[in-house]
Amino acid sequence: MSDLVVDVLTGAVRGGTAIMFAALGETLAERAGVVNLGTEGSMLVGALAGYAIAAETGSPWAGLAAGAVAGGLLALVHAVMVVWRRSDQFATGLTVMFLGLGLTSLFGAAYVGRAAPGFDPVAVPLLSDVPLLGEILFQHDPVTYLSFLAAPLLWWWLRSTRGGLLLRTAGERADVLHVHGYRPGLIRGAAVVAGGALAGIGGAQLATAYAHAWFEGMTAGRGFIAVSLVIFAAWRPLWVMAGSYLFGAALALAPALQARGISLNQFALDALPFLITLAILAILGRRTLRAAPEELRRVFT
Amino acid sequence: MTTQLTPTPVASPLVSPKPGYLAAAGRWTGALAGAIAIFSVLLIAKGANPVTTLVDMVVSMTSGFSIEQIVMKAAPLVLAAMAVVLPARAGLANVGGEGQVIIGAVAGAGVGLVVSGPAALPLMLVAGALGGALWAGLAVMLRVTVGVNEAVTTLLLNYVALDVMLYLIYEPWKDAQGSGQPATPPLSIEQRLPLLSGTAVHAGIILALLAAVAVWFTLRHTAFGFRLAVTGGNPEAARRAGLRVGRLLLTAMLLGGALAGLAGVIHLAGVEFKLRPGLTTNIGYIAFLAAWLARHNPLPAVAAAFMLAAITVGGDSLQLDSGLPAATVNVLMALILLAVLGWTAKRSSS
Repeated sequence: MSDLVVDVLTGAVRGGTAIMFAALGETLAERAGVVNLGTEGSMLVGALAGYAIAAETGSPWAGLAAGAVAGGLLALVHAVMVVWRRSDQFATGLTVMFLGLGLTSLFGAAYVGRAAPGFDPVAVPLLSDVPLLGEILFQHDPVTYLSFLAAPLLWWWLRSTRGGLLLRTAGERADVLHVHGYRPGLIRGAAVVAGGALAGIGGAQLATAYAHAWFEGMTAGRGFIAVSLVIFAAWRPLWVMAGSYLFGAALALAPALQARGISLNQFALDALPFLITLAILAILGRRTLRAAPEELRRVFT
Repeated sequence: MTTQLTPTPVASPLVSPKPGYLAAAGRWTGALAGAIAIFSVLLIAKGANPVTTLVDMVVSMTSGFSIEQIVMKAAPLVLAAMAVVLPARAGLANVGGEGQVIIGAVAGAGVGLVVSGPAALPLMLVAGALGGALWAGLAVMLRVTVGVNEAVTTLLLNYVALDVMLYLIYEPWKDAQGSGQPATPPLSIEQRLPLLSGTAVHAGIILALLAAVAVWFTLRHTAFGFRLAVTGGNPEAARRAGLRVGRLLLTAMLLGGALAGLAGVIHLAGVEFKLRPGLTTNIGYIAFLAAWLARHNPLPAVAAAFMLAAITVGGDSLQLDSGLPAATVNVLMALILLAVLGWTAKRSSS
């Protein structure tokens, strides 16, 4: 029993990392007042760029950087459209998602089935020997360790730095920024692009550390999961982290049970995180949107 | 969504002449040309000849066979676009077309498994509509009772719907005689939609066009349509005027869901004949974009649905003629959408 728990929790961290990066990126964008459904697209281009550059250069770290750049560039399209052309955020996000889907299918065909160096699990000395926790947390790939830092770092940055304050103000009261001579549009655009870069890192992690492969549409809705996760987490980075592991655990449960001879329909479990999110939304009701950044609430009405 | 402090100049009809159709046409042409130019650059980067690729695509799109394909692709898109248009009038964002289409197809297929004979097809259509309405109803109930935003819940329900369908076709409904691919048993001939005489096009397109006209008529010429528009314009004002806003929202969304469910079932009974993974090919999302492209006006949305259907069919020719993956066409579709949305529309003053 206890090794089942360890298996599921380890799997939760393994499978939740890519979603977490994307959801942290979405948190950035939404705290600045922009919903980006194109996160799915940013993850996809990040996954392809990460895998392709890793294959071409032989360095998964270069791949990770390329994934961030690609994800950020795709998000730039969303930023330009919604911030400067004032187009509808939902429709533009979906369009950007299709753009990512198309671009990766156009340029990705050559990398299907091709081998590339990826991130392998590295056990952290000492920490990985801690019973239970060591196995669950400290026998992963390096990008996962980065993700442990990313969520607290983002939390601190949003809360305690000048940049974080400006970003939050762009999402709460853009007028105030105007009065003080800042350009809220610029701040929002930057937040969307940075968010896309994080989603790209998530995608690159998915391709180079989780799946060790590239195939068309490999993110399979993880970007959309990330978007709903941010609402589930009420726009708080640390809750995003917890929520990502919840999704990861649901992904890991069926294979873990199957390995023990208990056969379970994977799809019943796959629906679980969505149902949990829906249940939480139903219970919290209006309070969910009360926690939302002020400017974001306008998008949702 | 940047806040503007400078007052927006008010266009006076006396001073500034109404921008002519020529200018609008110019903007449209420019936007489309820009999209095609970027797509060409990408094709060159991929080592394909953009001129022959695009010419092949257009030529194959206008062949008789392709026109039938386009009409068949457009039929569910038109219905699913109406499923966005109708709730949008009441101010609801139905991003859940995809899930409602899937559940519609699932409900239709479920009825098809147990009912045979001439009653099967009508019952399947009804079941599909009810299934879609149920799925949309879940989201709108959360909105009306506890105030959860429907854009979020409809989006989440898309994934639940997909899992429901996959669950069914991998286990309880799996065709035992089928090949390795998980799918339900194919519908019998009498359960399929009849073809329009002399063509390969199924009768679903008639249903779709009738639905679009009905939606147009409802929104334009009925009291119900007017109430929806009032609610969408200002829910608070609607409430104070004595309209039952909750019930209106509920009705609009249920009708929308029913239309999307119908889209799913005609796609099943007209084209696919069995449930399989990848059944919907993003019908719900593409229809959302079609509706939005048409600024949520029903009849232009029909045109937009046909345009996007044509582009999708063009993608199949890309694969056959140029050896590019069919999904490549999503690039062209997205570029055209971005160009049209960002550079031809009237800037909203919000």
